[in-house]
Amino acid sequence: MSNSFDVQRTNNETRLTLRGSLDINSAPVLSEEIDRIIAAKPPKVVVDLAPLDLIDSSGVAALVKLYKGIRNASAEITMVGARDQPLAIFKLLRMDKVFNL
Amino acid sequence: MVVRRACALSREPGVWLCLVPMAAPIRLTVPGTLRYRPIAVRVVAEAARLVSASVRADPKDQLVLDVRDPFDTAVVSAFMEIFNNIAIHAYQRREGGLIELSITPADRELVIELRDNGRPFDLDVVEPLPADLDDDSLPEGGMGIHIAKTMLDEMTYEPGPPNLWRLCKRLSTQPVATGAGRS
Repeated sequence: MSNSFDVQRTNNETRLTLRGSLDINSAPVLSEEIDRIIAAKPPKVVVDLAPLDLIDSSGVAALVKLYKGIRNASAEITMVGARDQPLAIFKLLRMDKVFNL
Repeated sequence: MVVRRACALSREPGVWLCLVPMAAPIRLTVPGTLRYRPIAVRVVAEAARLVSASVRADPKDQLVLDVRDPFDTAVVSAFMEIFNNIAIHAYQRREGGLIELSITPADRELVIELRDNGRPFDLDVVEPLPADLDDDSLPEGGMGIHIAKTMLDEMTYEPGPPNLWRLCKRLSTQPVATGAGRS
């Protein structure tokens, strides 16, 4: 199970791409990166979930933290590409509507 | 070893008693820490595939963890949350405890039992999700049991020792209400 993410920053946008499994083992590392993203106060954040295969409640919690942090700063956040198991989890939790997936 | 069980009995003429093979339980004992979670998840995913008969995205790659089928998705999602619960709440993230797994694939269902000797869990402390979700009410925790319970057909918990979680998922003839496909 690979756990990875990468962040690409431009002047207008920060793009976070999640890969493999975002779970209780990998979420703490991502959460540290999320703190850095929020602290940088980007005008727009795009979270690319297309390469993400699995997520658990810890992974969802990390994304909720990012979502709230960016929205509280009156910035824009978009989540794209959710599929299969991660999309099923967001639908089950009824977060697909909030995240506009 | 293959155990046989009766799955249906009809009194109508010309209809035979149906005997369906039920595999013997797969037993696995792992240390009750998150370090061993991926091993257990992989075993459960493959057991789910025995029941769902789901096809891999790449049939040549038998080693990849491929969870796309709705049945596999439900089983793996629920199992991950219960394993997390045991490692965090029962064993308090400490080493030394064990999780005993018994995984029984049958014709149209999968039963998973998890036994641990950690602290008992109080299911009553789990709060339901907010009725109306918006930016302010998005939960940042307490979702695991809700995910497991909703994904499964049956989930029971008996405080021990040993504590016993019993998870059951049946194949449905109706489409499972999970999000297959890309958004």
